[in-house]
Amino acid sequence: MKICIFEDEGYQNLYPLSLTRPVFELKCGQVTLRERILRNFPTVDTSYFMREYLTPAFSQDKKEVSVNEMEALKREDVFFINGRWLLSKGELSLTGEEEIGICGEETLYLRATTKTIKDCFSLNFREFIDSLKQKLKKKEVKARMITYPWDLINNNCWALEQDFEFPVKEGIQGKLPCSATIYGEKDRVFVAKSATIQPLVLLDSTKGSIYIDEEAIVFAHSHIKGPSYIGKKSQILGANIGEGISIGPLCRVGGEVEETIMHGFTNKAHRGFFGHSYLGEWINIGALCTNSDIKNDYSTVQVYVKGEFKDSEATKVGSFIGDHTKLGIGCLLNTGTVIGVGSNVVTAGKVLPKFIPSFTWYLNGRFYKGYGLKQIIETARVVMSRRKVTMSPEEVKVLEKAFKISKKEREKLIEKSKR
Amino acid sequence: MSAEERVKKIVIQQLKAREDEATSEARFVQDLGAESIDSIELMAAFEAEFDIEIPPEEGERVQAVGEAVEYIEKKLKEKDFSHKD
Repeated sequence: MKICIFEDEGYQNLYPLSLTRPVFELKCGQVTLRERILRNFPTVDTSYFMREYLTPAFSQDKKEVSVNEMEALKREDVFFINGRWLLSKGELSLTGEEEIGICGEETLYLRATTKTIKDCFSLNFREFIDSLKQKLKKKEVKARMITYPWDLINNNCWALEQDFEFPVKEGIQGKLPCSATIYGEKDRVFVAKSATIQPLVLLDSTKGSIYIDEEAIVFAHSHIKGPSYIGKKSQILGANIGEGISIGPLCRVGGEVEETIMHGFTNKAHRGFFGHSYLGEWINIGALCTNSDIKNDYSTVQVYVKGEFKDSEATKVGSFIGDHTKLGIGCLLNTGTVIGVGSNVVTAGKVLPKFIPSFTWYLNGRFYKGYGLKQIIETARVVMSRRKVTMSPEEVKVLEKAFKISKKEREKLIEKSKR
Repeated sequence: MSAEERVKKIVIQQLKAREDEATSEARFVQDLGAESIDSIELMAAFEAEFDIEIPPEEGERVQAVGEAVEYIEKKLKEKDFSHKD
């Protein structure tokens, strides 16, 4: 049996985070949703289905993997797994009867034999899955599904604790100076051998585990509460790190951060608070930028999803920011703000609007088209080269497509700003 | 008001320049101190004033007051021509 991790229509609810990556490349805990699924089945052959424009970038470092290949599904029994499933350890078994696992209206998985696959086969993946759904018997299953961006944040503490149990690594392998303190259980703290902990660091494991990965540096006066994960080569610059943090790799974090997930190469190096937020990769947050994650009247937070403001039904919701976006100094982000991919934000001291589309310049209260996509890509290249990373043609194509997808909502607000 | 006068008025407003600074030869960055964000706002102000579309790559090439006047007059002629069609 092989497994097939797929995207369904739910990807649009996860914009702008999923605009430049398949949904299963989103992070929760220490790893992506995909890695979380795969570590349950380390030796099983895997194929993937996703939006077509994402396939070249996704495949570039996975040459042996089948992506969007229908014919590859015909050869053996297949276990289809929804890529938005936040799978826990041992939650799912490959073996069992042919069936569909459902959770409310969501399809979690489909287990099908070669014969059923051949009977339902279509060259269109969505039609094929619909046909399997008609044929297989349903089984109601309880599961953690990622439907909206805030689901990633709300599950992060749980995922971090799961992830701490997963690796076989134990204890403090790196050096801990005598003035650095572990407050709480020592066996809830892992410091990798090549990580550096400077003097006067406080690691508080009273409420959760702390995992500091290879070559990370925690600078003096940093205070880290568990559960939290400091990714490879990330730097904690004397920061106050609250619980529910997933950082890295190669992030630089200062100021105050809690309940936040950051993809690689994102910097929030200076003072300012971010909470209950999800930041994509290659983002730069200027000094003193701060987001609200709770309203003054403690009511539930509305968040921009698929063209309208949706009630998150949660009172603590921060910001969701797409890859390559830059926030200038002193930006103030309202509760539940969404900023797209490749945007440039400069504020004049007022709170930002709750939605800034992708590839938009927001300057002093107005939306602009800026210097266009070409210049955004050029800036991204410069930023990446500073970290010795080259932007691939496949990544450029993803940004070009994301630019087209977001065109309508961008132009609408730019036009409105002209009036 | 001519296109040139309207352009100069916008330049004076957007870049907080004095009237005698906003000459045809004045360059937005070097002479009038425009930052990249000022240039973006300036081009948007031209678009709104003249009801034209300035593609980012063309806007980037417009670097002085006189060049802006020339560019906008050309754009207005094109617009006029396409309306007559």
